[in-house]
Amino acid sequence: MAIQKIKLHNFKKFETLEINCNEELNVLIGDNEAGKSTILQAIDLVLSGSRNKVESIGLSSLFSKQTIKDFFTDKQYENLPKLFIEIYLTEQNNEFLNGKNNSETRICDGLKLVFEPDDEASKDIKEILSQSDDNFPFEYYTIKFYTFAEQPYSGYKKYVQHLFIDSSQINNEYATREYIKSLYNSLLDGKEKNKHFNEYRRSKDDYVEKVLKDVNDKLESEKFVVQTNSKSNLEADLNISDNDGITIDNKGKGQQCFIKTKFALEVKAGLRELDVILLEEPENHLSHLNMKKLIKMIQTTHNKQIFITTHNSLISSRLDLKTSILLNSNSNQIMRLNNLENDTAKFFMKAPDNNILEYVLSKKVILVEGDAEYILMEALYKNVTKEELVDSDIHIISVGGTSFKRYLDISKILQIKTAVIRDNDGDYEQNITDRYNDYDGVYIKVFADSDNSRSTFEICIYQDNKALCDELFTTPKRTLTIQEYMLKNKADVAFELLDKKANEISVPTYIQKAIEWIKE
Amino acid sequence: MDKRVIFAVAGAGKTKTIIDKLSLEEKSLIVTYTDNNYSNLKQRVIKKFGYIPENTKIYTYFTFLYSFCYKPFLADRVKAKGIFWDMPSVETLKLARDKPSFYMTKHKLLYHNRIAKLFEQMKTNNDINSRLEKYFDNLFIDEIQDFGGHDFNFLKEITKANLNIMFVGDFFQHTFDTSTDGRTNQSLHKNYITYKKEFQKMGLTIDTESLNKSYRCSQTVCEFVNNNLKINIKSQRSDITNIINIENEEEVKMIFRNNSIIKLFFQKANTYDCYCINWGKSKGQDHYQDVCIVLNSTTLKHFKSSTLHELAPSTKNKLYVACTRCRGDLIFIDEKKIKSII
Repeated sequence: MAIQKIKLHNFKKFETLEINCNEELNVLIGDNEAGKSTILQAIDLVLSGSRNKVESIGLSSLFSKQTIKDFFTDKQYENLPKLFIEIYLTEQNNEFLNGKNNSETRICDGLKLVFEPDDEASKDIKEILSQSDDNFPFEYYTIKFYTFAEQPYSGYKKYVQHLFIDSSQINNEYATREYIKSLYNSLLDGKEKNKHFNEYRRSKDDYVEKVLKDVNDKLESEKFVVQTNSKSNLEADLNISDNDGITIDNKGKGQQCFIKTKFALEVKAGLRELDVILLEEPENHLSHLNMKKLIKMIQTTHNKQIFITTHNSLISSRLDLKTSILLNSNSNQIMRLNNLENDTAKFFMKAPDNNILEYVLSKKVILVEGDAEYILMEALYKNVTKEELVDSDIHIISVGGTSFKRYLDISKILQIKTAVIRDNDGDYEQNITDRYNDYDGVYIKVFADSDNSRSTFEICIYQDNKALCDELFTTPKRTLTIQEYMLKNKADVAFELLDKKANEISVPTYIQKAIEWIKE
Repeated sequence: MDKRVIFAVAGAGKTKTIIDKLSLEEKSLIVTYTDNNYSNLKQRVIKKFGYIPENTKIYTYFTFLYSFCYKPFLADRVKAKGIFWDMPSVETLKLARDKPSFYMTKHKLLYHNRIAKLFEQMKTNNDINSRLEKYFDNLFIDEIQDFGGHDFNFLKEITKANLNIMFVGDFFQHTFDTSTDGRTNQSLHKNYITYKKEFQKMGLTIDTESLNKSYRCSQTVCEFVNNNLKINIKSQRSDITNIINIENEEEVKMIFRNNSIIKLFFQKANTYDCYCINWGKSKGQDHYQDVCIVLNSTTLKHFKSSTLHELAPSTKNKLYVACTRCRGDLIFIDEKKIKSII
C-alpha cells in the first residue's frame, strides 16, 4: 500500500498542488511557512477519514484564503469554491477504491476529502451571499470522505493504516494520549480490540470481587466498585513503556520523539502493519546522536511509506536528496531535483548538498562567483545599507564558478528572489546581456559592471578603492602592480581588506545596485 | 471462457447450480433481481462456506447498477442522489436522450429503468466490462427473465466482458415489467423461441436440458401445470400429491386460518388477515409445503373451463409461479368464498 500522488485544491496556501510520491521515503524540505506541514496535514486528514478532526480545525482555517478572497470579487453562487484533497493509491485490487471520481477522471484507486457547498441549502446560501459584507457560507459546506468509487469511508472503515508523529506536539498530554490511541488502533483490528476491552473490564470486575471484597463486606448497602466508562477503559489507561518500566510520558522530549518513531517503524509481524508514517520535523528535541540513529532507522525501513518534513540539513542530506520534495515559502509550488532539466539535476547531485539546501531554504539570495566576493559581501552589504546582513533574510551563496544558471532554474520554479553578482569577463554583451536574457525578471536579476575593461571583481574593487588598496598591499619587495597582486591572491586580499578596512571600502556600483534590489 | 444461459423450470435447483459453482479460489459475482432471492442466496453461501468469503460478492441488480457500475464512473459527472423507484412519466419519453431530465427526477434521483440507458448514453459500458473483468472470474445472474427494456440491452453489453458468464432463469416466471421503457425491447417476452434467439445472438450457449426437471413440484403438480397452463415442466419425483378444489364453507374457514398453509392471492394479499402473499411476490420462495391458490373471478372462470392458458401472459406467469411454489398439495379456493367468511 502506497500513496502515488497527492493533489491539493484550495487547501491552505495551495490553490493547486500535485506531488508525485516515492513508494518508500519522501523528504519534504523547506523553510518555515513553506507548506511542509500543510502537506502532512492534508495526508493525515484524508487517511483518518475523521469528520471530527476536520470540524475541530474548522473549514475556515483549511480553505485557501486567496480563493475565498477571489470569490468575493463577484460573489456568484455558481462560483463558490470547492476544496479537495485527493490521494491516489497504488493498485489495491479493491473494487471499493477503484473508480473515475477524481479530478483526472482516470480509473484508479484512491481516496478524497471534499468540501463543497450543500446544494440543498442553496436558498440559504444565496441569502447569505446577498448580504453586503463578505460573509463566506462555511457552515453550509458538506464534508465528504469518499473513495474514487464514490464509496463513503470513515475512521471506522479505513483503507490505509497510518500514524502521524508530530514532535512539535511532544509533551502535550493530549497529544501523547492520541498517539498511543492511534498507534494501538492502527495495529489491531476490531475483533482483537473488542477482546482486549472485554478482558480488561473483566479483570476490573475480578478486582472488585477479590480485593475490594474485604471492605465491601463490611459495608451495609453501598459498596465500592472500579468504574468502566468512556473515560476509564483500556484505551484511556494504555501507555507505552520501555523494558525498565519507564513510561513514555516520563521520558525527555527528545527520547519521546525517538521512541515514538522507533515504535512505529519497528512493528513486528503478526500485527496489522502500518502503511504510511508521517513524521513532522523529527529534528526537534533530538540530540545529534539520536538524530543519526533515527536516520539510520528510517533508511533501513522497508515496506512502509514515510513522509518526513525537515529543515535540518543533516536529515535531508543523509536521506536521498535526489528524491526530496523541495518547497519555498515564496512559492505555492514544489520542486524535485528529478523534474529539473537533466543537466541541472546532475549538477546539483554532484554539488555540495548544502548549497542547494541553503538556496532552497532561503527567501532571498545573492549568488556570487567565488570566495573573495563571499568573504567581502557582508562588509559591502553593511556599507551600502548601514545594516547587518545577519539581520536580513538574505543569504549569500558562493557558486564557485559561473554555473549561476543552475540555481536560476530552481528559482524559476520556487520563485526565490535571486541577485547574481558576476564578472563581465571582458565582454558584457556576450557574458551578461545575451547569456541571461531568458532569466531576467521579477525574481531574478543579474548584476555586472558594464565597463568591459573592469572585467573582474578585484579590478572593480581596486579601481574604486585605489588609495586604500595601495596603502594596504604595497610592500618594498613587491614587483607586481597592486592590481596584479590582488588578482593573483584573491582570497588573501579579501581577508586582508575585511580585517583592516571593512568599513572604508567603497562599493562598486553594480554591487551596490544588486544589494539595493535584493533588499527591496 | 464459458458463457451460457440456463433456462430452468421452477424448483429445478437454479440457486443450487450457482452455489455449486462457487469456490474459494475464484472471484465470483452473483447478481439477482429480487430482495427475496438476494437474502436466499446469502444464506446459501453462508451454508456452503460457513461465512461469506471475500471473493464472493452478492448484489441485487440495482445495487449492482448503482454501486458497482454507476458510482465509480459517473458519480462526479451525473451527481445523482439515489434511485427513483416509480416509473417515469410518459411525457419524459419525448425528451432528448442527452438531457439529464430523461434520466433523473428534478430531485436528482435516477429513474430505475433508465440507469442502464445512462451507461449507453455516457459510453460507460467498456469501463464497466473492464471493471467486471478486473475484480471477477465468474459472473452469475439469476432471474434473467426479469431483464427487459434498457436492462436487456445492458445485459447484451455485459456479455461482451471477458469472464465466465452464467445466466439462469425461467422464461415463464417473467412477472415483473418494471424495466420497460417505451418501445425498447417491448416484445421481448412475447415468444419463448424468439426470446432464446436473443441470447444466441449474444454468443451464449443455450442450455434447456440441465434444469428441466423440478425437485420441488410433484408429478401431479407438474401435470396440472402442463395441462392447464401449457407450460412445460417435468418432475424429478415419482410420488403423487393432491389437487383439491375446496368449496365447503367450513373447510374454507379451516384453510384460511391454517397458518401452515400459505394463501396466494392474485393481488392485494395484504388486505387479508391471514398467512398470505401475492402470486408474483412468492417468486423465489422455496419453503412452502401445501399451497392454497386463491382465484379471483377471471381466473376462476378460466379454471372451471380449463382455459387457464388463455389468461393474459403476465397473469398466467404469476399463476405459474404460484402453483410451482408447492411441494405437497395444491388447493384452489374462490376468492368470493373467502370474502364471505370474513
